[in-house]
Amino acid sequence: MKRLLAATGLISLCLMTGASAAENISIWVRSGIGDSFKKVVEAYNAGHDDKVNLTEVPFSELVQKYATAIAGGQAPDALSMDLIYTPAFAAAGQLEDLTDWAKALPYFNSLSPSHVKLGTYDGHIYGLPLSVETSVFAWNKDLYKKAGLDPDKAPTTWDEIEQNAEKIRALGGENYGFYFSGGGCGGCMIFTFTPLVWGAGADILSADGKTATLDTPQMRKAVDIYRSMVKKDLVPAGAASDTGANFLSISNGRIGQQSIGAFSIGTLITQYPDIHFGVTLIPGVDGNPSSFAGGDNFVISKGTKKLDAVKKFLEYTYSLEGQKLMAKYGSLPTRGDIAAQVLEGLDPRMQVGLKAIAVAKTPYTLQFNDLINSANGPWAGFTNAAIFGNDVDTAFSNAQAEMQSIIDNAQ
Amino acid sequence: MAGPGAIGAVRRRTRRRRAGWHGFLYIAPAMALVIVFFVVPVLFTGWMSLHNWPLLGNSRWIGFSNYTRMLSDIRFMAALRFTAYYTVIVTIAIFAVAFPLALYVEKQRPFVGFYRTIIFLPVVVGLATASLLWVWLSNVDSGFFSPAAQALGLVDKKPNLLADFDMAFATIVVMVVWKIAGFTMIILLTGLQAIPSELTEAARIDGARRWQRFRFLTLPLMRRTIALALIISVTGSVLAFDQFYIMTSGGPQNRMISVVYYIFNQSFVSFNLGYGAALSIVLLVILVLISIVQLWLLRVGEDRP
Repeated sequence: MKRLLAATGLISLCLMTGASAAENISIWVRSGIGDSFKKVVEAYNAGHDDKVNLTEVPFSELVQKYATAIAGGQAPDALSMDLIYTPAFAAAGQLEDLTDWAKALPYFNSLSPSHVKLGTYDGHIYGLPLSVETSVFAWNKDLYKKAGLDPDKAPTTWDEIEQNAEKIRALGGENYGFYFSGGGCGGCMIFTFTPLVWGAGADILSADGKTATLDTPQMRKAVDIYRSMVKKDLVPAGAASDTGANFLSISNGRIGQQSIGAFSIGTLITQYPDIHFGVTLIPGVDGNPSSFAGGDNFVISKGTKKLDAVKKFLEYTYSLEGQKLMAKYGSLPTRGDIAAQVLEGLDPRMQVGLKAIAVAKTPYTLQFNDLINSANGPWAGFTNAAIFGNDVDTAFSNAQAEMQSIIDNAQ
Repeated sequence: MAGPGAIGAVRRRTRRRRAGWHGFLYIAPAMALVIVFFVVPVLFTGWMSLHNWPLLGNSRWIGFSNYTRMLSDIRFMAALRFTAYYTVIVTIAIFAVAFPLALYVEKQRPFVGFYRTIIFLPVVVGLATASLLWVWLSNVDSGFFSPAAQALGLVDKKPNLLADFDMAFATIVVMVVWKIAGFTMIILLTGLQAIPSELTEAARIDGARRWQRFRFLTLPLMRRTIALALIISVTGSVLAFDQFYIMTSGGPQNRMISVVYYIFNQSFVSFNLGYGAALSIVLLVILVLISIVQLWLLRVGEDRP
């Protein structure tokens, strides 16, 4: 009798562990980063016992929704978070410390360094790279041809870009030489415009993120370049009020040149096959190229009970299979060691996005949203005022003061 | 010994007392709604405003620091200035359009029902929807105004209406007048119709001219109606948010941040819920003061002139 009891006990124990072995993990992802992550989740669910429930949240509300979910105890197990927000959430103590596990990964040292840097707070690792995007410069080959330019020759300086833009604008009508979302889209401009000054060795924040260093000769020069193109009517009038909705204007076929993101390379190839375009690195004001390394970090909510299952899923996305799938839908490989293998057979233009990682930067600050991304932040206001306004000096001094005051208030 | 009269008095008193209790029962649902959805949230907001209350992490008691911080907050002052500017301009614009319209549709004339309807129609469109519609209308490339102006030969180059402050502000004011004037017109219309025709007639017999009748008869008798319309219009303008958020995202170079927009930014972009709460309380106080001043100016409450 006793043995029978023990046996049933053992069996039910086995059943229970068997049942709990297949976990259901909930993961959130922001919209607007393409399909790469969705496809990886689909593939994972098809081939594993653990299932991932993916919820897509509008990118502009993700931070707020995640924060309220944490406050209400409803946080998802893990999250694909715009990498620039990782420090803020890590500082608030809401993320699982992944240091030991991450450092034990055999490929840890080849993970995208900007992402890992942003995922590190106080020496501990809280976020790991999930998707990588860099900003690159794109030109429309058809318009180049029409304007009598060599469609396969990438411009390497801003003088060249401006001259090309003038020739394209000379085609007349609705053809314009250059485009950027200049209506106060902080996110767009940090992505496409700051590489001009980064390439020349300047930055908008000091290395420790505690001093605003907006007013540099390099930034003045960058602003002049854009101002001059606006003044010469090489940029459509809509750019002055575009808050990001028309970011990918090159897709309409009447924009000669603009800076875009690597995700957009995938979008242009798959959704706008009629646009023949080339990509190269964004030149700095002195010709040295740079880029913004963006994308998402993978973070795990503190206190989740499904830590192991989540880690298993993340290991899958780092496998060759997972990486290949992500790359196919526009995300650059996060693992440098197998990048060449991953991109094998994919569109060669993706290679430019990958090359950009080597020269790319990402600002490290806890106030990224307040300073840069917010539509009403100093950076967004500055880009519009300095490029379209009448008083460049005031634009510089106002933004510099406002940035510094936001940084100081947060200390 | 209690006579029949005394018994009657007692009975009346109990009836009165019961009636009072009944009365309370009748207003209880309304009271409950007001308490749950207004009084409690306001008290809670007041409580939050005394804390450093981030969206994440723990709140910390800081007394009145949020309120003192406001005094040196340049962006809040700019938001207050802009909101005041907007309120004055838009209220004058709405009344300048709505009053003539009300006078026009008050008289019986052919198709007056039709006029009233089309003037009122924009009111039933939501403000957010209307804003989105006007974003499209004023889009420089695919919209209506700029391409139309160019097609008519009024301008050489399509102007971007939302790119410069004055043009964008004018566009928003026109949109709001288009959207709201019909509502103000209806309120003013009810006031006009409440004026007994005998009075107008008597004035006319006494030889008062059209302007005199309007100035010394219509206007004084419409004081309460005007007060109502004014308070609704001013309150709505002080609380404006949708149109700036949707149409200009805070406007060229952040010059169109209204107070509510600033509160929203502080609370849900910067996650300073405590500071946002303090700003809300201050805004509430400002609104109450403005309403009191308006009621006093228009002497509403005194029975007769």
